[in-house]
Amino acid sequence: MFQKLIETRRYSFHKGFATWEEAVRAACQPLLADKTIEPEYPDAIIGKVKELGPYIVIAPNICIPHAQEGVGVNDTAICFMKTEEPVHFSDDPDYDAKLFFVLASADNTIHLENLCELSELLSDEEIVEKLLAAKSVEDLKELP
Amino acid sequence: MLKVIAACGSGMGSSQIIKMKLEKVFKKLGIEASIYHTNVGDAKSQAANYDVVVCSESLIGTFTNASAKGITVIGLKNLLSEKEIEEKVTENIVNKQ
Repeated sequence: MFQKLIETRRYSFHKGFATWEEAVRAACQPLLADKTIEPEYPDAIIGKVKELGPYIVIAPNICIPHAQEGVGVNDTAICFMKTEEPVHFSDDPDYDAKLFFVLASADNTIHLENLCELSELLSDEEIVEKLLAAKSVEDLKELP
Repeated sequence: MLKVIAACGSGMGSSQIIKMKLEKVFKKLGIEASIYHTNVGDAKSQAANYDVVVCSESLIGTFTNASAKGITVIGLKNLLSEKEIEEKVTENIVNKQ
């Protein structure tokens, strides 16, 4: 999966962000640049989190920004972002994130395959440790 | 057959991960279940037709009505942790049967 992210340039590394909204927008940037998504998609993600709370933080340090199918999405993809400093989604440190995987879906079958692979990878603590230690794309090259 | 609803904000990310993880845990514990995944709005209106609702802990407030009607509502902190899911399923489902 990471090799494909490198090939398609769907990754970014940042120091940190003052707000989670800025972090979500930055995480979406590579997908905006290659027209996988339209500007309303990050807006939709941010709107949902404001409405419902930080449900996109699925595990310690891990967040999967996504919104409903069909809203400003042209293709099915995953896009990775890593921050050095944790991004705060609420006052509760349980909802801090450093690893962002933006999900966009235009095809449910491919999306499900992506999600299944992502969930398997992120269930492997060793891989999560490596991602948390990653500083540049060079470090991603050693991942599956 | 246990009827389970997995819910998240949009119905296409976290709820599907919850469904995949629940399937593994149910298989391990020998629980027969059908799992439907959807967004919170839909889950809220359909909860009465299900035995169990599973969602992220941050969404649990949405299901206070369901919980008052006796539907088991399970909130997960770490959606990827089969250990947490297994513990909560054991505590809220297995031990109550």
